[in-house]
This record gives sequence, C-alpha cells and structure tokens, in this order.
Amino acid sequence: MKFRAKIVDTACLNHFTRVSSMIAKLAKTCTLRISPDKLNFVLSDKVANGGVSMWCELEQENFFSEFQMEGVSAENNEIYLELTSENLSRALKTAQNARTLKIKLTNKHFPCLTVSIELQLSVSSSSRVVTHDIPVKVIPRKLWKDLQEPTIPDADVSIYLPVLKTMKSVVEKMKNISNHLIIEANLNGELNLKIETELVCVTTHFKDLGNPPLASENASQDRNSEQMAEVHIDIRKLLQFLAGQQVNPTKATCIS
Amino acid sequence: IAAMLKCVMSGSQVKVFGKAIQALSRISDELWLDPSEKGLALRSVNSCRSAYGYVLFSPVFFQHYQWSTSVKMNDTDMMLNLNCRLGMKSILPIFRCLNSLEKNVEKCKIFTRSDKCKVVIQFFCRHGIKKIHNVCFQESQPLQVIFQKNMCANTLVIKPRVLTEALVLFTSSQEEVTLAVTPLKVCIKSSNEESMDLTNSVYSEMFVGPDEFDFFQVGIDTEITFCFKELKGVLTFSEAIRAPIAIHFDFPGKPMALSIDDMLLEANFILATLADEPSRASSLQTLCLSQKQKRSEPIHSNSKAGKNVTSKVPEYISRKVEPKRLYSNETPTNISTLENCGSPLMKRVNGDISEVPESSVSDTEEVPGSPSLRKFSCMFFGAVSSDQQEPFSLPFQSLATASDSEEDMNNGSFSTF
Repeated sequence: MKFRAKIVDTACLNHFTRVSSMIAKLAKTCTLRISPDKLNFVLSDKVANGGVSMWCELEQENFFSEFQMEGVSAENNEIYLELTSENLSRALKTAQNARTLKIKLTNKHFPCLTVSIELQLSVSSSSRVVTHDIPVKVIPRKLWKDLQEPTIPDADVSIYLPVLKTMKSVVEKMKNISNHLIIEANLNGELNLKIETELVCVTTHFKDLGNPPLASENASQDRNSEQMAEVHIDIRKLLQFLAGQQVNPTKATCIS
Repeated sequence: IAAMLKCVMSGSQVKVFGKAIQALSRISDELWLDPSEKGLALRSVNSCRSAYGYVLFSPVFFQHYQWSTSVKMNDTDMMLNLNCRLGMKSILPIFRCLNSLEKNVEKCKIFTRSDKCKVVIQFFCRHGIKKIHNVCFQESQPLQVIFQKNMCANTLVIKPRVLTEALVLFTSSQEEVTLAVTPLKVCIKSSNEESMDLTNSVYSEMFVGPDEFDFFQVGIDTEITFCFKELKGVLTFSEAIRAPIAIHFDFPGKPMALSIDDMLLEANFILATLADEPSRASSLQTLCLSQKQKRSEPIHSNSKAGKNVTSKVPEYISRKVEPKRLYSNETPTNISTLENCGSPLMKRVNGDISEVPESSVSDTEEVPGSPSLRKFSCMFFGAVSSDQQEPFSLPFQSLATASDSEEDMNNGSFSTF
C-alpha cells in the first residue's frame, strides 16, 4: 500500500485544515478512505439510540497538486485507515503559513501518516521542515462494507437550511430548555425549530428557504406543499453537528 | 532591627515584574522574595525538586530600592536576611492583568519587614485610586542552586520567537520535549519514550539551523529531554522583555539552564533532564534536602555560618553518598538511590519530598528493578556553608548544590543563583 500527496496552494491547505477540524469536532476517531480520485472521511457511530454518521467526500484534484496511491490490491485499489481525528487536525493547524505540505503513508514501528510541512521562516528566505507522524490503523478489507457511502432515503420533504450560524445560535439557546428538538419543514420553503416542555413552547420560524428539486415525482404530487413533515431529534447531537461546521457551505439540505 | 525590603516601580516595570512572577508560577506554588545588595531576587522550586527558577532584578531596575538585613545582638552576631516565602495563589492574582496594570498604575510600592508577617503591595493608579494588597508570608530560608552554566559543553542563544514556533507543534498531552544537537543542526522533537508506549500519540520533530541562533556552541552531540511546561513559562517571559534566551546543557541527566540576561535583570531556570540509562547514576547528585524551616524554629540556629541548616544533614549525606551504590550498574540500586532522592520515577509525581525519612535510606538492596527505567535526575538543594569542607569525599563532581542565602560560596568558579 502506498500513498503520497502534496499541497502547495495556501487556500487549498486552509480548506483541507478546516475540513479536518470539522471532523475532529464531530468524533474522536474517524476513517480515512483513500482512492485514486477521492479522499473520504467517514464516521459511523453505531450507537443504539441514534448516533451520528457522516460521510465527507473530497475530490483530490481540488486540493492536491500531486497525488499517488496504490491500494491493497489491484481489484481493491483503496486504502482505509482509522485515526484519531484530532491528531490530524492539530498537525495541519501547525501548517498555517506553509510553503508545501506533504502527506504520506509510512511505517515507522507502526503505520503512520507522516505530515511533512515546509514552513517559510519569517526572518530569512530559507525554510524549516516540520514533521508529524500520526499513528494509524489499517482497516482490513472485510470491514470495508460498513464504511460505504450511505444511501439517502426517499424523503417526504427536502429543504435548504437557513444560514447555519443563525440556526446554531437558535438551537444553542433552546438546548437549555429541552433535550429534544422538533424540526418541521414543508415544500413551501418553511422550516420551524420547535421545543415543547410542560411549561413552555418555543418555535422559531424560517421562511422563503427554497426547496431542492425533488428526487421522486410521486411523492411530491401527493403532498400538500403546506403540510409539515416533522422529526424529533436530540438537541445535543444537532448542536455538535452545527458547532463543527467550519466550512461554509453553499447549500445545506435537510431531509426528512 | 528587622530585615526589610522597600522598592518602588513604575507601571511598565510592574508589567515585567508580574511576568517574572507568572513564569515562576509555572514552576511552583511558592515564591521567595530575597533581597540583597545585588537586587531583589524571586525564587521558586517545584515540589519534586526538578525545576528551579530565579529572577534577579538589579537595584537600577527599580525607581527606588532599599533593603537591609537584620542584626541579631546575641552571641553569634549574625546578619539575617529577609526570609520571605509567599504563596503563588496569593501573589499571582495581584499581578494578573498586566496590560491593564501597565496602563493604570503610576507607581507601585512593595514593602515588607521580617518582624511583620506580611508584604504590602501598593498600587497608586490613575484618577487618584490607590489599591493596597497585604500578603502574608511565611518565614523560610530560600533555596539557591549553584550551577556552572559557563562550564556547559553546549550553549545556544536564540530569540524566543523561534522556540515558541517550535512549541506550537507539540500537544499539551505530551509533557516532555527532547532537544537533540550536533554541530550541524538542532532538532526539537517529541520525547521518544512516549511515542513508543502509546501508539496513539503523534511524534513531531522540527529542525533549526545553526544560523538561526544568535550564538551556537555545541561541544558534545547530545539529546536531552525535559519538561515542556517550564520551558513555556520561561519563553513567555523572555518574549515579554524581548531578550534572547540562552540554553546551557551537557549530557542527559545533568540539569540544564535556561537563562535570560538583560541589563536590568537576570533570570535563570534550572531544569532536570531525563537520565539516559540507569547506569548513568553518576550524574545524579543526591543532596536532596529541604531547607524549609518551621516558623517556630528560631531563626539564628539555622543561619550560622559553619553550621548546616538541620542537624540531619550530615547524616543524610553520609549515608547517601556511598560510592559503591552510586556507581553500581545494577538497576535496583539506582532506583533506590533515586527513590531516596525523591525524584520522580518515569512520571512526574508531585509529592512533596522535602523531608525524606531517614529510614528510607537504609533499605536499598531489595528494590525490584525494572529494566531500562528512565528517571529524572533530581536537583540538589542542601545547606552547604562556606566553612564546611566536604567532610565526606564525594567521588563525583558536584554539579549543583545548594547553599543558604548568605554569601558563603566564595569559590570563584561557581556562579550562585
């Protein structure tokens, strides 16, 4: 198995760093899947009462100026690595003003992702090299099936979310009142965030959000566009997701 | 007549003074105020005796500096210094918001006398506001360390910014950092020990070229491992006063010195380094003594020249220093020597080992050894006064020994901090 990649563009490096920080905020351990065209960060939390799963895909061309990999075998040209998310994000954060960043898979007593950073020195024109060896575990092929891209189930309603920062501050205040949040949305671009307790009921309304084009025609025809679909979720899990968002999305879609 | 201290500072001087206290607070929870004709010294030492900090403000640093010893009119006619020890918890909050102190304080007066039990710190601020802090102190003779930093084989002087950049690499979960030098390059890296045991910790390393140093002298290729947290405190201080920091060191096990020399002040931080192999016990000095005095003890009994601080001292030393034990290659013996020293084994144990019970000295042989244990060498603090020739012949050269706070070490080659 081989992997080496290089980033030379500062914007790409910063973006990659932010993605990795976002992952680090969501879960302690994550899986990194390396394939010829893509890098994926996968989290699958198999907690019984509703865990958080995440699938994050990066087109490698958008980030790396050089990218070479050789998977487990010719038919299975992929590498799955398990690592502590914070280790990667911290290492990347030290590369703030780096000239180049190289990542490669190495074996120093145990498998590692070696991040090698060339930093521009502030005083002279020379540079300094910093390396971090991040320990990883290679995930055997028999476990790969659990780490595939999740299929998005057919939805009753899909809606574009409001600005995530706004949503986060609303949900954060609600967290103090209740453990569960009700999200209601309809095909008219309306979204409500609601909490209900014995003493009080608080609802925040968002309008004119827009709905993405629907996947299946059948569902939409039967549905009244004003009718709300609702789900109950754990507030803390939602907040964890919202707090982790560091990459400003062009679109965030909520499906229920 | 009581020993006293009185000094006056401006707002910006208060900031520097406060930064020194903050750096020393990383070492220990206690601070000694020790005035002398050289100036006002702030000292602290950690409970496991593996780090010692000393900042000396010369008299010209202050707007006004006045001190005196007391003279005891009795048979010994001794000059007694102000033996003033403060808790960091009491004094640190006073010097907390240094930027605002610098802006608002027009004048700061610090005053104390050995017959009062408190230090009075007065801030004369803008708009006629006056803040007075009374901090109680305990009478305690400060520890000193003698360290021949100029005799170290390796000396590096660097601007603090470079080291600060290096420290960003290391996570706070890693307690120790290793400095490896050759005449061609310097490497700062995570301590090897940790990455071997825990397959989850990141190993980081960074190279610094000789040209980045203001002064670069490497006499012996070496790798020393020391505590990270203490280094950070010193770096912050050195950045605050914008002075380069000098690192003096030799081989693993021998303490290293971080020092800052400015026209107005001098700072020295002596840190223990991890000993390489158990057989390196020769570098471990064993004079690990406390100079803590109980308040009830009369002052004069411990400050007489020619007499040790506590009557326990000679016995302690003579039992410890048996050449056979120290040079033995057997791990068990070395562990026991260290245990007796109270130095932390493997991990830092913050026990207060100021009073090592005499009984522990004798049970040495049966300590079960573990192979290749790495230990910190411990610092040695003991009362050694000038009159006393080493009554026991130490087979090894004493690298750092303590003296009490009087001018007793007149041996020119030693620099007393």
